Amino acid sequence: MKKLVSLLLLMTLVFSLGAAPVEAMAEGEPVELTFYYPVGVGGDLALLIENLAAEFTKENPNIIVNPVFCGNSTETMTKTVAAIQGGNAPDFAILGNSELYSLLSLEAIRPLDDLIAADEDGEEFIADFWPAFLANSYYDGKIYSIPFQRSTIIMYYNKDAFKAAGLDSETPPTTWDELVEYAQKLTVRDGAGNVTQWGVQISTNDPFTFSPFVMQNSENGENLMTADGKTALYNTQGNIDALQFLVDLSQKYQVMPEGVIVWADSTSNFMAGTAAMLYMSSGSLTNVLNNTDFEVGTAFLPAGKRYGSATGGANFYIFDGISDEKLAATWKFIRWITQPERAAQWSIDTGYVATRKSCSELDLLKDYFALVPQAETAGNQLEYAGSELMLYDNTRCWDVLKNAIDAAMTLSKTPAEALADAQAEVDEILSEYR
Amino acid sequence: MKNKPSLWMRALLIAVSLVWAVPLLWAVVTALKPAKESMLLNWPSSLTLENFQIVFQSAPFLQYGLNTVLIVAGILAIQLVTVTLGAYALACIDFRGKPLAVALIMVQIIIPADVLILPNYITLRQLSLLDTLVGVMVPFFASSMGLLLLRGAYKGIPVAIADAAKIDGANVWQTLLHVYIPSTRATYVAFAICSVSTHWNNFLWPMIVINSVEKRPLTVGLSLFAKASESGPMWAKVTAATLIVMLPLYVLFCSFQKVFVSSLVRSGIK
Repeated sequence: MKKLVSLLLLMTLVFSLGAAPVEAMAEGEPVELTFYYPVGVGGDLALLIENLAAEFTKENPNIIVNPVFCGNSTETMTKTVAAIQGGNAPDFAILGNSELYSLLSLEAIRPLDDLIAADEDGEEFIADFWPAFLANSYYDGKIYSIPFQRSTIIMYYNKDAFKAAGLDSETPPTTWDELVEYAQKLTVRDGAGNVTQWGVQISTNDPFTFSPFVMQNSENGENLMTADGKTALYNTQGNIDALQFLVDLSQKYQVMPEGVIVWADSTSNFMAGTAAMLYMSSGSLTNVLNNTDFEVGTAFLPAGKRYGSATGGANFYIFDGISDEKLAATWKFIRWITQPERAAQWSIDTGYVATRKSCSELDLLKDYFALVPQAETAGNQLEYAGSELMLYDNTRCWDVLKNAIDAAMTLSKTPAEALADAQAEVDEILSEYR
Repeated sequence: MKNKPSLWMRALLIAVSLVWAVPLLWAVVTALKPAKESMLLNWPSSLTLENFQIVFQSAPFLQYGLNTVLIVAGILAIQLVTVTLGAYALACIDFRGKPLAVALIMVQIIIPADVLILPNYITLRQLSLLDTLVGVMVPFFASSMGLLLLRGAYKGIPVAIADAAKIDGANVWQTLLHVYIPSTRATYVAFAICSVSTHWNNFLWPMIVINSVEKRPLTVGLSLFAKASESGPMWAKVTAATLIVMLPLYVLFCSFQKVFVSSLVRSGIK
């Protein structure tokens, strides 16, 4: 028994020693990188990422990339936080674009400016990303993340239902007034007065789908927060009117179901043909097109005072304290996987939006848009898009706003009351960060 | 129990079980439908195994299944030992501080496992058990729920029987083996069901501990489809994956249904 124990101890020692030299590797030996990533769109995405990593290693035999699938974005963040605090952080990760402040307060990530400056074409590389996708990458003048699997909210509509209602299926609504007008025509009731087809469905228990209304209704495109993430702008007249508009859609115009509508239900209803228009992430396009029997169109979200939408999805972050060798390899991988051709192919394979402006000049993407014109909308709308809600202590601030929207939709508070209460609550949360 | 239920009672029972069966039936029908029809309430135009095929191609489900079985069986095997010995000590041996020990164990039930993710993670790292199946199991080797359950059952056995065994010359092990364990079999089965179904369904903890694809459990395969919030719900694939994940447990439960139900009734857990 004693022998066994000492043997085990010896083996542990040998293994732990074996781990150390990886850092100080002799030249020519491969660098091994580990990164965590979430899957936001279902099915094959995990395989796609693994294939990309393998392809990269084929081109760069001295760099081995190990992707680690970690569930959805929240779970990936949970795993990452455990790994960071447990002293076992991966080299880099794809994490929610709005996790910037959380990662900064863990002192876990490093700015990327030096890497960008060291590249000859670094400036152009960054300038080629859509500004809306870089909106949550900066803190204090430094850039911390590179956009990768990104989406934005667009409108989906049922062309067959448009035709049945006598509407032109090629001219979807472009303003809030038109949205109401179209939705009224598209709401179908049976003999007993029960609705068999709703005009429009907008997920109303999620600040992500509220953000577009806020931007559309603001004087100068202001968002729900200041750029430093320390002040929430929940209680503005523009936001109260925007929330009132959502309440009116279900209560006054009765073109949307009453109460709270959840994200998954709204898509299910649209796909089942019981909702004619839908506000949804561009990431759903493939699923919607593949699994519906009617003709689907996509359009910009109808404008209030202006067009507006929110972006979501996840970016690359590099963790602080990895060796120079790993850092160089990581940066090489990020540059490789975000090349315009690859970003375009990624967009075609997954339904995420191509992150770089130069993607749209590629034949690859042009051919794809000719085939699937619905896929072009998301990219075109980006010039009007802004960041989703991103504040310090984002989960709590997010919940406060979500509860306010719920309260207004279920009529337990007026929009003005709900947002005033939410503002007081969120100010309290953020006071410790000022 | 022996009286045959009346006609009304039977009708009621059938109605209630139908209500209970709806989600399962819906899942089976949706998984076998072409994906386009998954949101329609019709009888499928054709039956297809395509959804299962897609799901199987997206992840190594057989490997995941094997991992899940290893995790669940490993946890249960060790739990049975620790729980038996612990419960015997708490029920049958007098020692100083026993009330305090019982109280501490009870308090532990209140603490949700998710709160302990970080401390457990750090411990595993120190033990070099990250990314191993043993690492997934270790935090669950002891079970306060099982301890208290079994302690209660042991206490219900008349001391006279144990004393009789002692007079016959049985030592502690023999008493445990021949008196306590056989007469509390129902409690063991009940505990085993709870343990197996909990760890079969566990998702977050294995996800955090395991990095390698080939060591992941079934629930991770399911999450590839169920957690994809941005692509909207893909019910056909979600239900197909769900059926794959639950099937082994379901078959197990159906085949031992009689044993399970009677032990649940006897041990008083629901």
